[in-house]
Amino acid sequence: MNGIHDLGGKHGMGPVVVEANEPYFHEEWEGRMLAMMIACFAAGIYNVDRFRHPIEKMDPRHYLLSSYYEKWLCTVEQNCIDAGIVTREEVDACHQQLMKEKLQ
Amino acid sequence: MNMLTVDMVPVVLATGDPARVDEPVPAKFRKGDRVTVIELNGIGHNRLPSYIKAKTGTVTFDHGVFVFPDTSAHGKGPKPQHVYTICFTAKELWGEAGHASDRMYVDAWDDYLQPAS
Repeated sequence: MNGIHDLGGKHGMGPVVVEANEPYFHEEWEGRMLAMMIACFAAGIYNVDRFRHPIEKMDPRHYLLSSYYEKWLCTVEQNCIDAGIVTREEVDACHQQLMKEKLQ
Repeated sequence: MNMLTVDMVPVVLATGDPARVDEPVPAKFRKGDRVTVIELNGIGHNRLPSYIKAKTGTVTFDHGVFVFPDTSAHGKGPKPQHVYTICFTAKELWGEAGHASDRMYVDAWDDYLQPAS
């Protein structure tokens, strides 16, 4: 699809910033995200191509503003919804609950 | 549903999800062939960067046979086929903005290519 992910050759995106001594994870949750990604892969919920496609279908505004592992979260959620493991409503309710806890 | 166990984790991390297929699929192109990339605009998944669509380049390497992402992403099977490295001149991709001696190498599946006319 001709989506926002296809950024090759586009101008105005700024330089590629290479971090010296980059850690595997910048936040603890990113490690959990990797674990979720592998667990769902091992469970047969997606292959690499099924994993990539929902990232391409993210809202373009969200795509540009989200981090690498946030994109992984989006596709794991969408794949689990497509597989009938959770519903969109359950995922949204979980997001709202986490947001509420964070604000407390 | 398969469960991920601790002993599986290092293996999965080391190998990922290899897309190479051990099947004797004939190659449509050979090293040195001039090829033009198709104008692909489907709404499904593909691994074809927009900036090489309808551009002409030269096959420089045949990587062997791989799963085709366009079908694999949509439950339509692996459709195994060759993947090649295609060399494009910067002039071909970027016109006047491209430096005369620059080259860009992009890997592409058989189904994305046609013989250059």
